Amino acid sequence: MRSPVGVNVVLVVLGSTIFYTYVGQLVPQKQLQPPPKVEITGEMTPQQLAKIGDSIAHDKGLCLTCHTIGKKEGALRFPDLAGVADRAKTRVAGLDQLQYFAQSLCDPNAFIVSGFTSGMPTVNKPPVGLSDEELHAVIAWLQSQGGEPTITLKEKLPYCGGTS
Amino acid sequence: MNRRIVVGLVIGLVLGLGAVLRLWTALNDHAYHPPIYSTQVQPVPRDQGIADAHKAAEEKAKAKKYEPPAYRQFPVVGSRVAVWVVAQLHLMFAAFVLAVPLFAFIIELIGYLTGDKRYDALAYEFTKLLSTSFSFTATFGGFLTFLLIMLYPAFMNYLMEVFSPTFLPYVGLFFFEAGFLYSYYYGWGKFHPLVHLGLGLGINIVGTLIMAIANAWASFMMTPQGVSDSGALVDLYAAFDNYSWMPINIHRFIGNVAFGGSVAAAYAAWKFLHAETDEERAHYDWMGYIGNFVAISAFLPLPFAGYYLAKEIYAYNQALGIMMMGGAFSWLFIIQAVLIGNLFLAANYYLWLGMGRIEGVQHYQKYVKYLLATIAICFAVWATPHSLIATATEIRAMGGTLHPILGYLGVMSAKNTAVNVLILTTYVSFLFYRRTGKRPTVSWAALGNLVQFLIFAAATGIVIFYGVYGYFVEASVRIGFSVYQVVSVLVAMVSMTAIDIFLMRGAESTGETHWGKIPPISQYCLIFIAVTFTWLMGLMGYVRSGLRQHWHVYGVLPDGSPDAFTPTLGFATQVISVCVLLFFALIAFVFWLASLHDKKDYVAAKADEDASHGHGSRVPAAS
Repeated sequence: MRSPVGVNVVLVVLGSTIFYTYVGQLVPQKQLQPPPKVEITGEMTPQQLAKIGDSIAHDKGLCLTCHTIGKKEGALRFPDLAGVADRAKTRVAGLDQLQYFAQSLCDPNAFIVSGFTSGMPTVNKPPVGLSDEELHAVIAWLQSQGGEPTITLKEKLPYCGGTS
Repeated sequence: MNRRIVVGLVIGLVLGLGAVLRLWTALNDHAYHPPIYSTQVQPVPRDQGIADAHKAAEEKAKAKKYEPPAYRQFPVVGSRVAVWVVAQLHLMFAAFVLAVPLFAFIIELIGYLTGDKRYDALAYEFTKLLSTSFSFTATFGGFLTFLLIMLYPAFMNYLMEVFSPTFLPYVGLFFFEAGFLYSYYYGWGKFHPLVHLGLGLGINIVGTLIMAIANAWASFMMTPQGVSDSGALVDLYAAFDNYSWMPINIHRFIGNVAFGGSVAAAYAAWKFLHAETDEERAHYDWMGYIGNFVAISAFLPLPFAGYYLAKEIYAYNQALGIMMMGGAFSWLFIIQAVLIGNLFLAANYYLWLGMGRIEGVQHYQKYVKYLLATIAICFAVWATPHSLIATATEIRAMGGTLHPILGYLGVMSAKNTAVNVLILTTYVSFLFYRRTGKRPTVSWAALGNLVQFLIFAAATGIVIFYGVYGYFVEASVRIGFSVYQVVSVLVAMVSMTAIDIFLMRGAESTGETHWGKIPPISQYCLIFIAVTFTWLMGLMGYVRSGLRQHWHVYGVLPDGSPDAFTPTLGFATQVISVCVLLFFALIAFVFWLASLHDKKDYVAAKADEDASHGHGSRVPAAS
């Protein structure tokens, strides 16, 4: 016995919709939360700042959306950050490590690493919009990539509204 | 009398009375008393407390300074889901209302130019679906506006601040759209054909302008420009013509035509399946074919419009682009690949089934198996994810989430190649269908066929070459390769079509087309295509909107509501499915209303029924 056309049509519509919903359940499920508020105080040590900077780099700062750490194979979108603490000391003539990091974060198109294109956002402006304290924490984290963090909140950041 | 006796009697009397009184009191305390009901409310401490609290709250409210709320909550499902569903339904009906007049106008124009009345009737049949859909679009538009004002007042206030000069023109254009649309529909056959075509052109121009204004608001939310860091308006023109405005205009315009064509084809399929005569079946088979032709023709260039949109998103903010294609939303494109793969499969299957209605089909049928194999391989490549979901043991065995072989197929080089070959293959299916039952008679037919084949081979070669070469260069270089692939496919399709038009001019017919002689499964195929298009539209709408994450306006106005998080893809697909099912429930109502046109009037139908039951004698014979 043939089923009525109306029933068949409803089955096609329902069946295909259920199938696509099912496919949607098969892929990884991740809920993105707004970046958490972090508390940074003047008494924090560089190591404590680096720890907070690590969470900012993964979350609010969006650093690891484009950068990698220790990627050995395949093409890179943006420079890999493993060992950057060392490279930063001599990367741009006339800039020390802190100045280079501050320039990379707050005036990212001033210097582009050879082999890469521009595209890094100014991180103290929206949408990333890191505060001065958060910038210090991220720099402490960058210093910890192949080096020891030394920065404290007392230091002024050039290129980011502070004076060099 | 002795005084002592008198005093003794008095004391005895007092004590006696006292004893009687005590006994009376004691008995009275233990006796049953019916309850005393009072009409007066007896104040108790709790009531008094509540009254005092109300009074204090009232006084506090009176003393409080008014502060407009930033958010209000929608019950049960929450504000975001409520706005999401209503906005999606508004967009689906709007897309349909914008698309149908476009191809109705073109079909009417073909009818006018060729003098073939069938085209005019077909255009009218499509237009019948418009009036109710237009009402639904406006109703959902109003619903959405009220919901946004109610639930997101601060955000709406900001949008008003930036775009206030565009709101009144938008409403004004709606009046024109209504005027054009209803005069086009009700004026069918009542005006000179050119005047009527002018009305059709009017709907399309005004409809496109309405869409462009609404797109400026939506695209500004994703890629805002023309405002200061704090969000103050600096340049309205820049805010309007932001990075993603024009790509979204183009993408939506083409997407609307594809979607509208597929829904109109689903209507034809519904009518075909309910047809009672061969004539009806032939008409609705043809209508379904045209609707599907419109849908797939618009669908083929749609990925290119998608590239353009993605390119502009990257140009606006690389992090946003990477978030879309390589970050949190990357798995969404695997779901998209499943949908688009299904669309290609279903569209080709429908074409191959359609070849069966044409005599002399055998010549091309032998190629179908190769086309199917190519489509299946490309579909599989496109749906291969970059990293696999695997157990810990499987990940250890593979040395990571990247499969040692399949991992190479999960990157853009392979996917771009697959989708371009899919488009070329589907185009070839169309070309075969177009040629079925015809034999070219021009003297240069052999040369024409050879040139067409060479163009096809060259385009396929370029697509595959750059696909493979992409594995050996940096990402910045590889991105540019997609342009070469896209251009070669577009050039191939345009040039092969141009050659084919001249090649088949005056072609000899080797067999007739028997409209209506197609298996019913082809019609379910059309309905499946319409559902898939609708679902795809919902999915891509989600990524466009969800990409902003916890921002109302990206980087300008943060979302501080409880719904500021981005939901999982699984949840998003459930909401999309609800939208799709609601849309099809409503569009079924539109189909039913449109089909009332063909129904007999109640009185005439009743008279026919009575006559068929032999009650004709009740009607007095005319003398």
